[in-house]
Parts: sequence; structure tokens; C-alpha cells
Amino acid sequence: MAAAALCWALRAARQVLPSPCPRQVRSYYVDWRMLRDAKRRKMAYEHADERLRINAIRKNSILPKELQEVADKEIAALPLDSCPVRIRNRCVLTSRPRGVKRRWRLSRIVFRHFADHAQMSGVQRAMW
Amino acid sequence: KDKSAASKDSTPEGASKRQKDGAETPKQQLLDIIGNMKVEVSYRKKLQQLKASESKKQALNKPEGLDSEGSLPQGTTEDTQRGKPLNPELVKAASAVASSLPRNQKQTESELLAQLRRHEETTDKQKKGETINIRSVISEMTVKRQTPAQRSARTSGRMSFQLDEDGQRIRPGRSSAHSFDSRRNLKVGKRLNIFTKASTEPEHALKTVSSPTIWDLEFAKEVAAVTAQPPRNGFEEMIQWTKEGILWEFPIDNEVGMEDDAEFHEHIFLEKHLEGFPKEGPIRHFMELVICGLSKNPYLSVKQKVEHIEWFQKYFEEKKELLQEI
Repeated sequence: MAAAALCWALRAARQVLPSPCPRQVRSYYVDWRMLRDAKRRKMAYEHADERLRINAIRKNSILPKELQEVADKEIAALPLDSCPVRIRNRCVLTSRPRGVKRRWRLSRIVFRHFADHAQMSGVQRAMW
Repeated sequence: KDKSAASKDSTPEGASKRQKDGAETPKQQLLDIIGNMKVEVSYRKKLQQLKASESKKQALNKPEGLDSEGSLPQGTTEDTQRGKPLNPELVKAASAVASSLPRNQKQTESELLAQLRRHEETTDKQKKGETINIRSVISEMTVKRQTPAQRSARTSGRMSFQLDEDGQRIRPGRSSAHSFDSRRNLKVGKRLNIFTKASTEPEHALKTVSSPTIWDLEFAKEVAAVTAQPPRNGFEEMIQWTKEGILWEFPIDNEVGMEDDAEFHEHIFLEKHLEGFPKEGPIRHFMELVICGLSKNPYLSVKQKVEHIEWFQKYFEEKKELLQEI
């Protein structure tokens, strides 16, 4: 699928393909907001384990409350971009923050464009 | 009988648990634990079973004595012969469990060992992924072609029954043709490699150059780039994508890139990692919950689980002063 291939190209931004046959490779993000979202995703992945463990200590009825308060302060001290709540599922091609279908990671406009040109596998205009 | 059957079902699972304990504590403690966990059978039943087993043993001792003695060494040789020998701890645990059950020690022991062996075999097979290539077998099954000599003989036989003076048909060297054919077919043809060869050829040190230099790599890349033609059709494009890693390989292997060589007991029995923690108190309670959750998690590797536990250990050690104030 076009979206999947371009996603892969986005993640490996500066990789040079060994084969000579020319293929469209996107080496820039669509806009700065998409770049910041990418940074947040990366940070969230790095701190995911730590956050999980500290949250396990916090959301607990067995450990003493003082320990939980200390854990509260610790998790607040982590960088803001490391929390997964700040990630926004933007459209992969246009960086549109709203109207994005999760399955294809595309905004509704791009999805419609590709589907009408028969470039989406298995997608058909509904008629019943 | 239901009780004993239920106990037998639980004992293989229990046996694996006990073998894990046996790894740490000496065998005496292991046997004590098993002795404590004996099936509660009423005294009368026990007497009856003992009497029955004694009578059975006396009756079958003479004819079966030889068989049992023969089966035990056979069993041990079987264990060693079947590629991977069973864990000696598991074997010990199985024998201890069998001794704890009231009747027919040897039978239960052999049954438990057979179950363990089967389990090992299935895991080994799944790991190696050995399947007999049916295609290679079928490709060798060629249609039997008649030699021209045979064909001429048959046609001549049909056209005119050449009769000797004796009245028997002339057989122009048919038997020799048959044997010749079979001899030819036996040694001709590609080997199927269904029966593995025992001989392993010694690998000659062909690599005189220890590692390819950068210039060799560059040259190889250049050659590959020049000779690589753009794909002529969709199939070649998909082949290229598969080589680059864009497209998955079909049929889809769910365990690509996931090589977990750890056994199941390393995933489930994580108590041995809890040695650094205090034995009582809320922290121990918390860590036991953590371990219970980790043991049920099929998505993490053993390394990741151990890392989680070690992080908690470090964290609680840092907070020791704080905890002692409380």
C-alpha cells in the first residue's frame, strides 16, 4: 500500500536505497508539527518502561502512601514529551490532526482521493 | 480411581514445579515436600491398595521381573538415544513423585517420563521446523518409461505369438532389460535427504582471507548495482521488496525476529529473582504481585522481565532510608 511504503520511508528518512531503480523517497516531514509529534513518539518509546514501573508503584493499595507520593514527584519530573498522551495520530501524508482513520493513518480527504483512484486495496464505494 | 487420575494429572504439573525447587534445595527436602503433599487417601483404601499391589507383585514378579529389569536399562538408553536427554532433575522428580503415589511405581514413572519426552520432542520439532519436503519426494517419482527394446518386444509379442518348437513364447532378454533398468534407476537421481547422513564432513579452512576488506565490499556493491535490472513485472518487484524487507515472507511466520530460547519454567517461576528483597512486609507482597503479572505475560522476553525486577530492586534500595523512617 502507498501509505505503508511512505510510512517506512518516513521513518528511515535518510537511507539511500542500494538498488538503482528510482523510487519516490520522502526525506522530509510535511511540517514542523509532524516533526514534533515524531519526537514525542520517540521519547515516549524510550521512557515507556520507566513510566510503567513508576505507575505500578503509584496505583497501588499495598505500598505505603509516602512511597507513592515520592513516586508521584518522580514521574512529574520526567520530561513532558515522554508521556504517551501527548501523541496525536496525525495523517501520514498531510499531517492533518483531525479526521484521521486509524487503520490507514490517513486523513479523510487523502483516503477518499486514493480510494477513488482505486489505489486502496479492498476499498470500494458503499452502495446498499 | 478418579482421585488417582486427578492426582496423576496434577503431578506432571507439580513435578515441573518441584524440579524447580529441587534445583535449589537438596533432594531430601524435595522428597519431604512431596511427602507432605501426598494424596489424602483413606486408611482402608490404602491397606486394600497395598494388599492388592503386593499380591500383584508376587504374582507377576517372576515373569515380569526380567521384563522390568530389561525395561529400566532400556528406558535409560532410550532417554539417551532420543537426541536430547531429559533433564536429570526432571527424571529425579518423576521418580520421587512415582514413589509417593500408592500403587504401581514403575508404571507411573514410565508414564511421566514418556509425557515429558513427548513434550520435549514437540518443542524441539517446533524449534527446528523440520518438514519432509513433499515436493522433492514427488519430483523423484517419475513415470516408468519403457526402453525401446522393451517396447519392440511387447509390440512384437502382440503382433505375432512367436512360438518355439516347444510352444513357449520367445522372451528376447526381457529379464536382463528389467534388471538393467532397476540397477540404473537405483543409483541415478538426486538424493532426497530424508534419512540424515551420520557423516559430517570436516569443514576445510577455505577462508584464507580473514575478513573481506572494504574495497571488496565496495566492489561487490558496484557489481550488484550494475547487474541489477529494474523489475520486468510485478512478481519481480515483489521479490525485490521481499529481499529488501519491505514485504513479509509468505506463509507468514509469526515468530520472525523473535528468538526466545528460554524454557517455559524460566518465564513462569520468577521467585528466584526475588532474593534481594525482604521476606515479609508490603514490599514483598507487592513484588509477588509483580511476579504473578510477569509470569502471565507472553509478550515479554525473560531478559525484559528480569530487567523489570532488577529496576524495582534498585529503586527500593535507593528508598531504603525513606522506608525505614516509616
